[in-house]
Amino acid sequence: MSKKASLRFSILRGFVAILISLFIASILIFISAEGGSFGEKLSSTGEALVYLIVRPILNGKGAFSVKSLTDILACMIPTIFTGLATCVMFSANQFNLGAEGGIMLGAFVSALVAIYVPMGTGIHMVVAVLAGAVSVAVMMLIPGILKAKLDVSEMVCSLMLNYVVMYAIKFMMNTYFADKTKGQVQSLPFEKTALVPQLINNGSKLTWGFILALIFVALTALFMYRTRWGYAIRMIGINRDFAKYSGMKVAAIIVASQVIGGVLAGLGGGVEMLGRNEFYSWSALPGYGWTGITIACIAGNNPILVPLAAFFIAYLDKGCNLMATYCGIPAQLIDIIQAVIFLFFAAEQFLSGYRQKLVVRSAQQELREKEGQK
Amino acid sequence: MSNVLSSILSAEFFFSIIRITSPILFATLGAVIVEKAGISNIGLEGIMMISALFGSLCAYWSSSWFVGLLAAMIVGVIVALIMSVFAFQLKTDIILVGIAINMIGSGGTIFLVKSITNMTEGEALSSTTSLITSELQIPTVQIPLIQNIPVIGPIISGHSLLTYLAFLLVFLTWVLLYKTSLGLNLRSVGENPNAASSVGVSVTRVRYTAMALSGLMAGLGGAFMSMSYAMGWSLNMVAGRGFIALAAQAMGSGEPFGAMLATIVFGFAQAFGIKLSSIGLDSNLSSPIPYIITIIGLVVFAIVKRKRDAKRVAAVGAKQRKEK
Amino acid sequence: MAEYNSEYAVEMRHISKVYPNGVAANQDVDLCVRKGEIHALMGENGAGKSTLMKMLFGLEQPTSGEIIVNGEKVNLTSPTVAIAHGIGMVHQHFMLVPSLTVAENMVLGMVPKKNGVLIDYAKAVEITKEYSEKFNLEVDPDAKVMDIPVGMKQKVEILKALVRGAKILILDEPTAVLTTQETSELFKELVNLKKQGYTIIFISHKLNEIMQITDRLSVLRGGKFMGVRETKDVTPQEISRLMVGRDVVLTVEKDQAKPTDTVLSVRDLEYVNEYGKTMVNKLSFDVRKGEILGIAGVEGNGQKELVDILFQFATAGGGSVTVNGENILGLNQAQIREKGVALIPEDRMLYGIAGDASIEENLISDRCGKKELNSGLMFNMKKIHQMSKQLIEDYIILCKSAEQKVGMLSGGNIQKVVVAREFSSNPQLIIADQPTRGIDVGATEFIRKKLVELSRSGIAVLLISADLNEVMELSDSLIVMHGGRIAGYFEDASKLDDEMMGEYMLGLKRQSEEEIRRVCHE
Repeated sequence: MSKKASLRFSILRGFVAILISLFIASILIFISAEGGSFGEKLSSTGEALVYLIVRPILNGKGAFSVKSLTDILACMIPTIFTGLATCVMFSANQFNLGAEGGIMLGAFVSALVAIYVPMGTGIHMVVAVLAGAVSVAVMMLIPGILKAKLDVSEMVCSLMLNYVVMYAIKFMMNTYFADKTKGQVQSLPFEKTALVPQLINNGSKLTWGFILALIFVALTALFMYRTRWGYAIRMIGINRDFAKYSGMKVAAIIVASQVIGGVLAGLGGGVEMLGRNEFYSWSALPGYGWTGITIACIAGNNPILVPLAAFFIAYLDKGCNLMATYCGIPAQLIDIIQAVIFLFFAAEQFLSGYRQKLVVRSAQQELREKEGQK
Repeated sequence: MSNVLSSILSAEFFFSIIRITSPILFATLGAVIVEKAGISNIGLEGIMMISALFGSLCAYWSSSWFVGLLAAMIVGVIVALIMSVFAFQLKTDIILVGIAINMIGSGGTIFLVKSITNMTEGEALSSTTSLITSELQIPTVQIPLIQNIPVIGPIISGHSLLTYLAFLLVFLTWVLLYKTSLGLNLRSVGENPNAASSVGVSVTRVRYTAMALSGLMAGLGGAFMSMSYAMGWSLNMVAGRGFIALAAQAMGSGEPFGAMLATIVFGFAQAFGIKLSSIGLDSNLSSPIPYIITIIGLVVFAIVKRKRDAKRVAAVGAKQRKEK
Repeated sequence: MAEYNSEYAVEMRHISKVYPNGVAANQDVDLCVRKGEIHALMGENGAGKSTLMKMLFGLEQPTSGEIIVNGEKVNLTSPTVAIAHGIGMVHQHFMLVPSLTVAENMVLGMVPKKNGVLIDYAKAVEITKEYSEKFNLEVDPDAKVMDIPVGMKQKVEILKALVRGAKILILDEPTAVLTTQETSELFKELVNLKKQGYTIIFISHKLNEIMQITDRLSVLRGGKFMGVRETKDVTPQEISRLMVGRDVVLTVEKDQAKPTDTVLSVRDLEYVNEYGKTMVNKLSFDVRKGEILGIAGVEGNGQKELVDILFQFATAGGGSVTVNGENILGLNQAQIREKGVALIPEDRMLYGIAGDASIEENLISDRCGKKELNSGLMFNMKKIHQMSKQLIEDYIILCKSAEQKVGMLSGGNIQKVVVAREFSSNPQLIIADQPTRGIDVGATEFIRKKLVELSRSGIAVLLISADLNEVMELSDSLIVMHGGRIAGYFEDASKLDDEMMGEYMLGLKRQSEEEIRRVCHE
C-alpha cells in the first residue's frame, strides 16, 4: 500500500474512532439526561451534544468567541507537556506512567522556588521551572535505572511512585509549607517575579507557557527524528535486540528516555503552576498524566501531532464541563470518552478488514502492472 | 517504644493484616491466572473500582449483600471480557487496554455514580457510603471452636466471608492451574500458544477464559472493598491495590502460594502504616508505606532472582567440571 | 458433490493467498493428493509451501479458491476444523510445550478427565503407550519434553496427530533437524503408516529423500503451481528445473585464497547452557585475512552458541577470543563492532532489523553515532539519504523508497538490507551465520558473491551454514562441528565430498587432535 493510501486510511480510522466514542457518549448522556419521557430525554440529549460538540468555541450568545478558544488553548499547556513526555517514553517501549506524579512534583518544586528563592524577574521563572524539571528527572531515574539494571517493571514502579510523590507533597505541605492563615491547605503566594507572563490578558490564563509548549513540540520532534539519541530510543522501542546487536547502549537509553520524559512532565508542572496559580494548593494527582497518555496514543507517539490531539481532548473536556454546567451531565463523562477514543486509536486491528481489502487491491494492481510490463 | 511494640504484637494487629490482605489477594490471584496464560492485566485496578461501585449499588437496590456480591463478580467478568475483545479481537496492546480501563475506573465511575444515583454532592464527595448499611455488608463468620482458642482465635476467626474465600481460592487456583484441563490449556497457551492452537485448543478462548477469571477475582476484590472493607464505594478507594497485586504476582514467581506470601507482606506493610498513624504518625507519612514496600519488594525480588540464577548456573558448571 | 473426485484425499483448487502486508504467497495453486500416497510438496524456501499447508491445516484462510477433503468441500477456519476432517500436521518447529510431559503434550486439547473435572494423568500415559506401541513410535510418556532428544520430539508430534484421528498427515520439512539414522528410521515409520492407509504430504527440498519415499510430487515456485509428476517417471534434473526455473547449479567462482595474518583467534572456548549441557567444548580455531573459513555441522552442535559468544549474546564459560590480537570477550556489542567485527545474524527478524522502521533507519543502526552522519547534535540527513541511496543501489534492494518499512519487504530484500549494513561497516571480520537461509535464489547468489569478493579483498570471513552446498562451495577451508567440538578440519574445502562430510557431521568419524590443531595457525 502506498504511503498516501496509508495516510488516508489512518485519517479515516481516527475519524471513525471519534464517531464511535461520540456515539457511546450520546448513549451515556441519554441515560443520565433529564426528562421523563423518551422524547424529552432525546431532546435534552441533543441539547447536551450541542454543548459538547459546538459550544466549546462559542460564547454565550452562540457566536464564535476568542475567549472560548483561548480557554481551550490554555488547557492544552500541561497536557502537551505530559503528552510529549509519554511520546518519548512509549517510543522506547517504556510504559512509564509516572507523568502523573511527575507533573505534580514539578509543580510543587517550581512553587517552592517561586516562593522561597527570590530572584530577578524572568530568571526567577526560568530557574523555578527548571528546578521542577530537574526534580522530576531525578524521580524518573528510579524506574529507569531499576528497569535497565534489574528488569523491574517500570510501569508498576512508576505507578507506585505517583502515590509516594503525592503523599510526600501532601505531608510537606501540611507540615512545613502551609500558609496557616488560610482555611485550606495552600502555600504562601508566589513571588511576582516567578510568574509565567500572560500571552493575552482576557482571563483565559493563556500564558507564554503555550508558546513554550509549542517550542518543545518542535524540539521533541527534532530530538526524536533528527538526532542519534531519539533514533536510538525509537529503535529500542521497535526491536530491543536489534538495537543491542547494532551496538546501541540499550540500558543507558532506556534510562535516558524516562529521564527526558520526566524533564518534559516537570516542565509542564512548573509552567502550569506558575502560569495559572498564585499559590500552590494541589492536594491530589491532577490527572494531566493520564490525559497525556491518551494524547500520545491519539498522536501515535509522534510529537508533531501532540498539539492537535491535545486540542481535541481540551475541546471535549470543555464541552463536558459545559454539559455539566448547563445540562446536569456529570463532567467526568470526559474520562469515559477519553478512554473509548484511546482504546479505538490503540486498537491495531480496528477496521483491519477494510485495510486488508485495500492492501489486496493494491497488491493485485501491482501484479497487473508487472504483467503489463512484460 | 514498648507501647508501639505491644500494640503491634496484638491479636488485633494480626487480624487487620489478614483483613487488609484479602482484597489484594483476590486481585493477585487474578494476576497469577492471566500471567500463566501469558497476559498482563494491568486493568485489575480499574475492574476493582468498577465492580466495587456496582456491587454496592446493587446491594442497595436489592437490599441484599448477596446480590451485590454477585453483581460485582458479573461486572468484573464483563469488564474483563470487554478488555479481551479489544486485546484479542482488535489486537490492542493489552497494557493500553488496561490503562483505558483504569481511566474509566477512576473518572468514569464518578460519572456513573452521579448519573445513576443523581447525587449532586460535589465531585470530591461522590460516594455510595450513605447507601450501604451494615446489613448490606458482607457478613462476618465466627468459626466455632477456633474462635475460643486464645491468641489464634481472635486473629483467624471473625473475618468477612470473602476473606476466607480469598485464602480458599489460593488453593483452588493451584488446583485449577495444575490439576484441570483448563489449567493445562492455560499454561500451554502461556508457554507456547502455537503448540496449543495446533492441537485445536482455542488460544483465544483460553485467553478470554483467563481474562474472565481474572475479572471475576478482581470483582470479588472490588466487592470486598465496597461491601466489607469500607461501607460503600468512594472515589479512588482501591488506591493502587490492583497494581500492588501485579507486583505480588511477580514476587511470587507467578505461583499461587508464592504470590499469597508476597501479598501478605503488603498486607503487613499497610497494617503497619495504619497502626503507626493510629498512634500519632501523620497519615501522609504512613499511607505511602505499602507503595514504597512494593518498590523495595520488586527490587529485592529482582536481586534475589538474579543471584539465584547465577548460583544455579555456577552449580551446574561445577557439576559439569566434576563429571569430567 | 459428485463433481469432486473421490480418488483424492485432498484437493486444493485455485488457491490464492495475499497476506496483510501485501505479499502474495500463493497464486492460483492446485494441489491434489491421492488417498494412501506419500506426496511430496517441493519448492525452494519462500515458494509458498508453508503457506499452502497452513491453509490446509486451518492456520490461514485462502484469499480465494476452494479446498476439498475426501470429496467434500470444506471451510477450514481453524486447526480444530482441520483435525475434525482428519488432517494432522507435524510442524517444522515443534508445536510442543517444553515444561509439560510427553503424555500431557499428547492429550493437550483432548484431556481425559476423572470426576468430570480433574485431569486423569494415568489415562493420558496409557493412551500414549497404546499409540506408541501400535505405530511402533517409541517415546517416554513421563519425560518432560524439554529433556528429550529431537528425534523423539518428532515422534511425539506424529503420535499427537494420530491420536487425534488424523488420516492425512502433513510433515513440514521433517528431516531438517534429524540425523541420517533418525531420518531413515522416520522413513520406515512413514512407509509403515502408508501401508496402513494413511495419506502423507511430505514437504522437503531434498531431492534424494523425495526420490526415495514419495509416490508423486507437486512443485511450487514463487507462489505458483509448476506441476505434478509421478516420482518414478521424473528425473532429478526435471525437478530441479521446475523448482529453480533454470538448469544451473549455484556455483560461485572464486580464486585461490591467499590468507595472511590471523584476525580471529579462538582458544579453548567453553560454554555450558542453562540446562547444564556443554554446548561448546574446548573449541580452538583461527580465521585469517583473505580466507573464508566455513563451519559445517548438523544444527544444534554448538554453532549457534559459538556465534552468540563471539557477539556477546552469551558469556563464555572459559577460553579466549581475540580479534587482531585484542581480547573481545566481555566487551559490549558497540566495542566488538569497534574492533571491526560485523555479524549477519542467523535470525534476521529477531536481531537483524527493526521491522517497523524504514530501510534507511535500518541501514544506519550501527553507525548512527559516527561523525560522518552527524553535524553537531543533529543527524546530517543529506549524508544519511546519500548513504542509504547508495547502499540500496549497490545491493540492489528492491523497494519503493528508502522510507519504506523494512518489514514490508520480501525475505531476500530484508536480508540484503542486513548485508548492506554489515558489509559496508568497514569490517575486518565478517561472521556470516546462515547468510542465505530462506531467501530467493537471486539474493542468495548476490550475497554469496559479495562474501567471496570481500574475502578476496582481505577481510576474514567466518561462515556458519546448515546448507551443505553453501559451506562447501564458499569456504576455502572448513571445519565440521559435532557435539560442541571440531570433528574435522579440512584445509582445502574443494576436495571434499558429501559422503565424507556426512560421516564427520554425524560424529561417525573424527580426526586426531594433531590434525584438528592445524586450524590454529600458530
